[in-house]
Amino acid sequence: MTYVDIPLARLALVLGFIVLAVVLSRRSRLGLERDLVWGALRGAAQLIAIGYLLLLLFNNERPGWVLFVLTVMLIVAAATSARRVEHGPGWRVLFPRALIAIGAGAAVALVPVFAFVVPPHPWYEARYLVPIGGMMLSNAMNVVAQVFERIFASANSEADQIEALLALGATPRQALHRQVRATLRAALIPTINGLLTVGLVSLPGMMTGQIVSGTAPEQAVRYQIVIMYQLVGVAAVAGLLAVAFARRLLFTRRAQLVLPTRAPTRA
Amino acid sequence: MTSARAPLVDASDPMPRTLEGRDLVVVREGRRILDGASLIVAPGEAVAIQGASGSGKSTLVRTLATLIEPDDGQVLLGGQDARTIAPTVFRTHVAFLAQQPAMFPGTVRDNLVSGPALHGRNVPPGLDVELMASVQLPEQFLRREASTLSGGEKQRVALARALANESEVLLLDEPTAALDPDTGLRIVSLVRELSRAGRSVVMVTHDEAHARALGGTQYRCQAGRLTRSSA
Repeated sequence: MTYVDIPLARLALVLGFIVLAVVLSRRSRLGLERDLVWGALRGAAQLIAIGYLLLLLFNNERPGWVLFVLTVMLIVAAATSARRVEHGPGWRVLFPRALIAIGAGAAVALVPVFAFVVPPHPWYEARYLVPIGGMMLSNAMNVVAQVFERIFASANSEADQIEALLALGATPRQALHRQVRATLRAALIPTINGLLTVGLVSLPGMMTGQIVSGTAPEQAVRYQIVIMYQLVGVAAVAGLLAVAFARRLLFTRRAQLVLPTRAPTRA
Repeated sequence: MTSARAPLVDASDPMPRTLEGRDLVVVREGRRILDGASLIVAPGEAVAIQGASGSGKSTLVRTLATLIEPDDGQVLLGGQDARTIAPTVFRTHVAFLAQQPAMFPGTVRDNLVSGPALHGRNVPPGLDVELMASVQLPEQFLRREASTLSGGEKQRVALARALANESEVLLLDEPTAALDPDTGLRIVSLVRELSRAGRSVVMVTHDEAHARALGGTQYRCQAGRLTRSSA
């Protein structure tokens, strides 16, 4: 496998893109300069850190360490998706539920693939488990965050409709059906759009990376198909679980609508 | 439990039952919004509850509709504790209409059939027209988009929606509050007609004239308690 090395000096050149965005932001008075600089620095720092961490992990590949890294990624993903919910209950209520939804979604997508489709050797081989696991966790995180945000927001804004249905004898599932449908569609559409436009609009990152690093394109494509289908599975499972949790939080056992009061602290 | 084929507008068919709220207490943020309110609504009885805003009257009807769980006391239907009846069954018998009833997306007809549809039932042919007549709306309204109706029309459609569900008891939370005085009085007289046709009706209002216009048993709600006033 051959690829073009990027020395640090040449890497620094791409900072020009950030400078360009900062200049444009300032000229258009968008007020995004600080966010851009902070985002660029933080993103680079996180990537460099994970680069060294992966290097360390590859050199000391043990099941415990690999699972530890995946667990940390899962916790960060759950914390992030539970933190960004404006209309829902507090972080403490959502975090454990996000953890289960994201964890189960990722497990459903990862376990069968690593068992039967791309079996790593040994089974805990970090260069497969960590990046592919990360992609699944990240997609599940986005889906769960969107589901929580939208379902609680629509339950708030359409409470009178939901209650009118309950008053006609609807079950909570029936009363929330319209909101659940809209929420899940919105959460799954980016993943479905990804399937529809892949290869036409963009070449996905993983496939690009594999091709650049010398993998035969037809193999890179197969990997990408695996990933895309996994992402669909992750999104469906994590999204449905998040909806089920949200429904339980929105109704009492006596089918009464209870709108969660927002916890005063916002992370 | 009840027959889907029976003429739904005629309230004489379902077994009429008494709705009772017994010593109801609802506490929210340390405040006793209902403070031992009790009320018995006999089959076919019309009950008007009048009270100022914040007196607890809306909380009372919502509690009777089991949309709020009381902190103490009981709601009983036909002498049976509401907690022992599935909410889907209880609420089919006891309808609750909010001050400004929400219309579901779609036409007026879609709204009318929504209650029976929730229970997997179809509305028999012709019943939709009959229901519209019972709430004094023309048949042509069936095809109208429900969201485009006026406040008074929405109230009527919500009443028809409850009737389509074969509800024995109608609980109305300030049905006239968002309407002009004339439309409000017309709704009250419609509710009175429904009550005379055999439905039990509980109407909450802040308007004394509307309470009297309903007739029947008159209550006053004050500080979360109910007292019977002279008719």
